[in-house]
Amino acid sequence: MSDPIIALENVQLTLTSRAGAVNILRGVSLDVAGGSTAAIVGPSGSGKTSLLMVMAGLERATSGKVLVSGRNLQDLGEDALAVFRGAEIGIVFQSFHLVPTMTALENVALPLELAGASGAFETARALLDEVGLGPRVDHFPAQLSGGEQQRVAIARALSRKPRLILADEPTGNLDGKTGRQIVDLLFGLRARMGATLVLVTHDERLADMADRVVRMADGRIASDERRVATAPAVRAAVQ
Amino acid sequence: MTIASETARRPTSATGGWRSIVAIGMRELRSGLSGFYVFIACLALGVMVIAAVGALGDAMRAGFARQGEILLGGDLTFARMHARGTDAERRVLASLGTVSETATMRTMARTLDGAEQALTELKAVDASYPLAGTIAVAGAASFSEATAGLGAVADPMLLERLGLKVGDRMRLGDLEVDIRATLVAEPDAVADRLTYGPRVLVSMATFEASGLVQPGTLIRWRYAVKQNAAAASDRDTLKALRTATAARLPEAGFSALDRHDPNPQITRTLDRLRQFLILIGLASLLVGGVGIANAVSTFIDKRVKVIATMRSVGATGRQVIGIFLVQILAMSVIGIAIGLALGVLVPTIVDRLYGDMLPVRAELSVAPQSLAIAGLYGLLVALLFALWPLGRAENVRASVLFREQLQTTQGRPRVVILVAIAVILALLIGLALSTSEPKRIAFYVIGGLIAMLVVFSALGVVVTRLARRVPRPSSPSLALAVRNIGAPDGLTRSVILSLGTGLSLLVAVALANASLVDELKSRLPEQSPDYFLLDVPKDKLGELSKFVMDRVPGATMIDAAMLRGRLVKLKGTPVEQVKAPPEAQWVLSGDRGLSYSQAVPDGSTVTLGEWWPADYAGPPLVSFERELAEKLGVTVGDSVTVNVLGRNIDAKISNLRDVKWESLAINFVLVFSPNTLRAAPHNLLATITLPDGVSPAAEADLARQLGRTFPSVSAIRVRDAIDQVNVVFAKIMTAVQAAGSVTLAAGALVLAGALATAQRRRVLEAVILRTIGARRSQILAAHAYEYALLASIAAVVAILLGGTVAYIAVTQVMELDFVFSLNAVFQTLGVAAALIALFGGIGTWGVLRAPAVPLLRSE
Repeated sequence: MSDPIIALENVQLTLTSRAGAVNILRGVSLDVAGGSTAAIVGPSGSGKTSLLMVMAGLERATSGKVLVSGRNLQDLGEDALAVFRGAEIGIVFQSFHLVPTMTALENVALPLELAGASGAFETARALLDEVGLGPRVDHFPAQLSGGEQQRVAIARALSRKPRLILADEPTGNLDGKTGRQIVDLLFGLRARMGATLVLVTHDERLADMADRVVRMADGRIASDERRVATAPAVRAAVQ
Repeated sequence: MTIASETARRPTSATGGWRSIVAIGMRELRSGLSGFYVFIACLALGVMVIAAVGALGDAMRAGFARQGEILLGGDLTFARMHARGTDAERRVLASLGTVSETATMRTMARTLDGAEQALTELKAVDASYPLAGTIAVAGAASFSEATAGLGAVADPMLLERLGLKVGDRMRLGDLEVDIRATLVAEPDAVADRLTYGPRVLVSMATFEASGLVQPGTLIRWRYAVKQNAAAASDRDTLKALRTATAARLPEAGFSALDRHDPNPQITRTLDRLRQFLILIGLASLLVGGVGIANAVSTFIDKRVKVIATMRSVGATGRQVIGIFLVQILAMSVIGIAIGLALGVLVPTIVDRLYGDMLPVRAELSVAPQSLAIAGLYGLLVALLFALWPLGRAENVRASVLFREQLQTTQGRPRVVILVAIAVILALLIGLALSTSEPKRIAFYVIGGLIAMLVVFSALGVVVTRLARRVPRPSSPSLALAVRNIGAPDGLTRSVILSLGTGLSLLVAVALANASLVDELKSRLPEQSPDYFLLDVPKDKLGELSKFVMDRVPGATMIDAAMLRGRLVKLKGTPVEQVKAPPEAQWVLSGDRGLSYSQAVPDGSTVTLGEWWPADYAGPPLVSFERELAEKLGVTVGDSVTVNVLGRNIDAKISNLRDVKWESLAINFVLVFSPNTLRAAPHNLLATITLPDGVSPAAEADLARQLGRTFPSVSAIRVRDAIDQVNVVFAKIMTAVQAAGSVTLAAGALVLAGALATAQRRRVLEAVILRTIGARRSQILAAHAYEYALLASIAAVVAILLGGTVAYIAVTQVMELDFVFSLNAVFQTLGVAAALIALFGGIGTWGVLRAPAVPLLRSE
């Protein structure tokens, strides 16, 4: 197995609210190997989305160590985190979160533009072609179906060829058929790019497609199951 | 098919280029101007006022510059009181070009039977008048024909007052003149100072024959000079000519003017009015700034998810700020452009509506500098108020995309933003100070506004916290209102800030107005005499006094010697080189009334030094009015040189006096020891105060008899003069009220914006309340309670703060007595209450009508 791209060591996350402190993560240690796929599953409130946010550097762990691509995220400031995230991590949300005032093309080009990369729009157009939205590049999010919006979101997440893709319930807002197409696309692109994919899901069938299934319960890892799955097998399972 | 090139992975620059930031920012604007209407309106309104005032000033200035020669009646004029130009003096003036002599004085025009009389401004002109422009008359073929022989041209108003018409005759001094025409337009009326009575024009020969030209009579002799066509007439050349002529005629005591500034008094008045209105504009702009801050804050709050999305794909805080700054700047450009465009139109509108009332026709010529200043004010205010909410945009975390948290921006902006805010504030203060004269006023305005913003920001926080601690009221609607006031992101702070600042300004303007009105209206008539008598010959005083006492027993008469002269030197320094504050400048320019007195005049109190003994016979002494002496930097022991009747007189200041000017008693800035001026030919000025109970008929009879018996004496009815002042005052009040209403409009905009800020939240809250069984009347009551509570708190503090500001403005800037008018305060609060009810009502109506299902589904 290659070096871990994610290494979590005894990560605790406590959020304080007016009602008092809530322990969201209670000492999570987890390594994710580069180029692998992992699914995080568990009931609502088990801490799976929080774990994903900690991996993305969107939520700062209260204690413990969070290493992504060898960088300790705990050491990075807000802006350094943003730059790091832009370069290393692509995130796919359940609710897509496209910028409503920008076309599909502009949404996908946005991370590249922010990074000052040259040829942002050419890259974005190529990606949209690849996710099957070539004819719809100039459509605004409101003019796209849910599945199409998620394709745009995936293209945006991959636009800077991240080493790590984090997906939060990527099919949660989609019907079964569209969801399967999105999963196929996500896994296919990931495989081609050789990126690591960590996804949070309620869907056991989707979880089964990952190399590894991490089950969360009450802020802790309840089980960690490694599977041997290959891309053709995934295809078969999905179809 | 391959994925994007490897260049995408490793960016060329970690922060991204500004070009991309601008492009992304402009793309973001596709959502349209919605949410920015208040921003744009606030900015446009303030910029419009400043641009309009600047444009109007430019238009008037351009009018003066182009029409200066006609307004002045030549390239240069030299004028003095009492003494006609000597032959030697006229030879010097004739060496400059063609000369025209005119004489003006106030006198009484009467019907031949003496039954009717009216004060008139008589002007005698020579054959070469006018040197520039044309004089238009009606009823005769030409002006020269109308004034030939004993002909006169009269203002139609005078004829109406006397019940005469063209073809009739009237009496001027000892002479009967033929009214041959009515006056239509007099080109150089502006140069003859602001007139009090209607004009009568006669030839110089008629004037000389009228018996009005007596030594000591208050006649203004003016010599207009028109240079040869080939001579240079630029500003510097004419100024040099004025100086050279003064050097050639050192004792003449002429006040010299040139066509570039035909009436310094009007120029100065216009300049001060311009400053005042610019500050009103700035005040509106700053009040509007609160609206700008609210609008930006709301806009950023609405874009929280977009910001979070940008953060999640790698946008740094600087990039987020940059993207939204681009949008704010774009909106500012729109607001400023609208403001400038509207402002430029104002002079044309003013000229069309009030052109006849202005001293000069406004010309549509706007200096780029005026527009640049207005635009710069707008940009600085927009940035000043937008940067704080904008700076907080980077505090938005990408995690809001995962969790439904309260979606508002919080925290403090980074240090760079705070420094930028401080720098912009400093620039704004600098700009206000550099474009204002006197700077004190700008300083007070800015200081007052900053105090208001600070006080009401703090009050908002205090009220929010207090509301959280108040025990829960038993009425559910009231409880809801109190909870809303205490809500961390509720309306409280923005409503109190915008309402409080707007109300304070309105209260301040209303109270300052009230003090001014009180000063002019209630104090004058109580203490003032009924008549001023001009040009009472010294040897006729006893006779005249007896005449008055015989007819109206109990009347009191006060008299004083009256000469005109001008200040030439202070402490040996020519007055042209004396640096006087603007409010004291008038004493140094043109001629002043001078007097002498054995005893301290009525209405005066000596505050420093000694009054001279009754039989004083030493070197000339003078008593100076204290306030002006202080402003001009002179005190007891200093020397003052005045030119009277073409002769320079040096006098030493022996004392300073406090003068109660508003009493309208006879008083002068300079009062000399009797031996100084007694020998100079002069007349007396007298006042008559009638006892209570004199009937209007008896008063009219006295005036008629007085005119008949003493034809050279001009009697001015004080009530008429006050009415004149009131007419001018009413116009000024209209201007001030118009300016005040701009502030009110800014306040209303801000209020509307503040209420709109929380509208989204309110709609959701109302929908939820309705789903759990709240009636509409309960929601309505809750909103009414909330607005009423907030408005009451803001109003109470606004009365205190606005009152303080008005007190400082009235006592320190306007130098009047402060009067607290409850009436003015309640009128202002009434308008505010109506506005709150209107905007609050519209908002609540929207909240109650909002359909529930879509909201509940999407949330």
